[in-house]
This record gives sequence, C-alpha cells and structure tokens, in this order.
Amino acid sequence: MVDVSNHTLVPDHTLLDDGELEEVLEEYNIEKTDLPKIKRTDPALPKEADTGDVVKITRDSRTTDQAVVYRLVVE
Amino acid sequence: MTEYDVSNDIEAIVEDADLPRRLKDEVYETLADRDVTTEQADEIVQATVAEYYNSRVDPLDPVGTVSAQSIGEPGTQMTMNTFHYAGVAEIDVTQGLPRLIELVDARKEPDTPMMTVYLEDEFAQNRERAHEVVWKIEATKILQLGDVSTNVADMLVQVALNEDTLRERWPTVEDPVEVAEEIAATIESKLGVETRQRGLVIEFGPEQPSYRDLLQLVEELREIVFKGIEEISRVVIRKEETDQGEEFILYTEGSAFGDVLDIEGVDASRTTCNNIHEIHRNLGIEAAREAIIEETMNTLEEQGLDDVNIRHLMLVADIMTNEGTIESIGRHGISGSKDSVLARAAFEVTVSHLLDAAIHGEIDELDGVTENVIVGKPIKLGTGDVNLRMTSGSGEQAD
Repeated sequence: MVDVSNHTLVPDHTLLDDGELEEVLEEYNIEKTDLPKIKRTDPALPKEADTGDVVKITRDSRTTDQAVVYRLVVE
Repeated sequence: MTEYDVSNDIEAIVEDADLPRRLKDEVYETLADRDVTTEQADEIVQATVAEYYNSRVDPLDPVGTVSAQSIGEPGTQMTMNTFHYAGVAEIDVTQGLPRLIELVDARKEPDTPMMTVYLEDEFAQNRERAHEVVWKIEATKILQLGDVSTNVADMLVQVALNEDTLRERWPTVEDPVEVAEEIAATIESKLGVETRQRGLVIEFGPEQPSYRDLLQLVEELREIVFKGIEEISRVVIRKEETDQGEEFILYTEGSAFGDVLDIEGVDASRTTCNNIHEIHRNLGIEAAREAIIEETMNTLEEQGLDDVNIRHLMLVADIMTNEGTIESIGRHGISGSKDSVLARAAFEVTVSHLLDAAIHGEIDELDGVTENVIVGKPIKLGTGDVNLRMTSGSGEQAD
C-alpha cells in the first residue's frame, strides 16, 4: 500500500494530546463532539489514532498561508 | 528576519500587526518599494489592519445563504449541454452545469470518470518507459491483439495474434509465443474451454457443435481483459511542461485510482482522479475536501466564471465533508439532516416530511431561518438575532 501522506492533496494530520485539546476547546468554547469528524478508517489518519481522539490538520490554505482545523475521530 | 529590504523597526511594526501572513508579505513588498519613515509605515500598517477588519465577515452574517447565491447565480450562465472532447488530450469530460451538479450531489460515479496519472523519474522522461506504464493501465482486449475469425465448418474460433502488438504490449517478455501461451491460459480459465495453440494462433470451440454457442464464445472472448485495468478503456500520453520540467503525463478514460497508485512508475504523490469518492477511499476525507474545491473551481473557471470567490466553494466542501464522509447537498444529504421539520419540508417532498414528522411527534424549535420565514417571525440573522435585555432588581431605581 502506498503512503498517502505524501500525496499533494493530503495535509498533515497530527494527534493532539489532552492538554492541547483542552486549550482548543477552551479557545472556541465548544465540546469535543462539536468538531468536524473523521472516520477511524480514514487512510490519512495517523496509525495510533483511536476513536475519541482529536487530530490537528494543518492545511495549505488558499486564502491564508496555513489553516489549522481539528477533527474528532469517530467509529 | 524577512527577505524584504526594510528596517528592523518597520519589521517589528508589521510583525506585531494582526494580519495574516499573505497580507504581511504584501505590506512588506509595498514598504520596501517606497522610501517610508517608521511613522509612515506605522500609519500604513494601521490602515491595512483597519481595512482587513472591515473586510471580514460580520458576526451573524448568513455566509451559507451568500455562498448559495454566489454559486447559484453564475450557475444560471453555465452551459446545459455537455461538450464532448472539450477536455485535455481529446478525452471526453463532463463540464459545465452537469458536472457541478454531479459534484454537489456527490454521485458515486462521475458521468465521465478520468484520471491524470503522473509518472516517476525515468518513466516521466522516457517515452518507451512511459508506455510500459500505459500498457499496465489500459485494458487490453482481444481485438487489440489480433484478428478473431469463426470457422463454421469445424466449429472453431480462431485467434491470430499480431506479433508486433504482442512485442509492444509485453515489452518485458522476449518471446511472443510465451505471451500467446499466457493468453491461451487466460481464455481457458475465463471461458472454460479447451484451447489449441500453434505459434501465435489460438483455436477453440464449443463442447457441442452449435452455431449459437460459437457466436456466444466470440462475444465473451471480446470482453476478456488480458492486461491492464478493466475500468480503463483508453490512455492518452502527453508531454507537458510542469513545475518539474517537461514530463510525460497520462490521461485515462475511466478510473481505478487505488489500483493505479500501486503500479510501478506511477507517482503516487501527484496522480489524481475526478471521482471524489475514490479520492476519499484512498486518500481520506481531507483530500476529498481539497478535491471538491479543486473540481468545482475548475468547472467554474472553464466556463469563464472564475470570479466566484473560492471561499464559497470552500464552505460547500467543508459542509460536505463535515461528518467524515462525503455527503451530498440535497434531501438525501445536508438538507435532509436538518433538525427542523419545516426547513426539510420546505426543500423537497414536502408532504412526506410533514407526515413522517407527525407520526414521530417531532417538535420544531423554530431556530433556523427557513422555519421562521414560514411562520412569519423575524429570522435570527444579523440584527435579527440581537436582543435588548434589562436587568431587573439589582439596578438603582431612578427618581
């Protein structure tokens, strides 16, 4: 199987630890479940990610240089 | 330290400003071109920040509605009919309105699936090597390899393979007869018949002498894929100028994204296809989001509607990929998953939504826009969502 993270369409996915997650939720004043979702079977997901984890995605944005978004890993 | 020719003071001012990187770079460029004092630079930065704040979306702005209009209006100017052979390299691609609808409906298969296959290193530079990849991708059927004839007297199907074609399509195999053996074996396993092979001629016939069975065998023979990927009916090879210099790029009719990525010589970091579901399966939801933006923007650009702001398309892509899977815009997707009964009923198939809601005893909270328009209440958008509240009790009483 090819390594999908090398593909130009795939941005960086990194796993958030609990401290960072807390900060993010605080900043936006939201619950974890309010975040956009990503399936656990997603090929671009880091291997160690499990349901309930949150991944930080750093996109090369079209409107600013880098955009950071978060997705909650589900089923 | 920036690459621009500005003093440290000015750099500090610009870096401190609340601006995105791209605007900061633009400010640097402007300042470097002109001979400005630190005070003037500060003024310029202040003005830029003010303008930036002004151009941001206000709180409670209905961005979805604005996006819908901004994509919908240009949509009325798009061509209704598909123009054939309008895409790259004489490959037929659906364009215009049908393509846009296909994208936002998140169809499982596009009308005209295609892939753009980039090649690695020497495969991209050398036409012969690029062709090796082509033969691994393009579906090779019997009619491309030789002549098929039926011998009614002996009840036999005769396949006369063309030596040059075999050498061309199996460049790694020395002896064409070896290839012929391989082909004979494929025919045996697919059709369940005994074959006789002499050199480059393969013969076989039905078990019982029957004219109908004979014709049936020929029909089935034509469908067998001997080499390549079944879904891909045609591959066009083109030399193009890219960021990495001149290279060969393959365009395919039909797509099998996952299979192609595994083929040796294919650059798995740049190859793409126009089926957003295949992208989603193989590269994940974020790549699918990128692909939706890219495809919708390209569709609009091809129609000369490139003044649609990319933010609207990004919003559409964000909503479609929000749940981790690709959802369509429409009653089976986004609009169908709205909380409000009235909003769903207002979109499509009104009666069945109202009926279902009645059976299940659904309650409409009247939070959204559509339902409040229906009942004639002010909508909660812009100034409509601002309320004045009076604190009672604790305040000082006026005389």
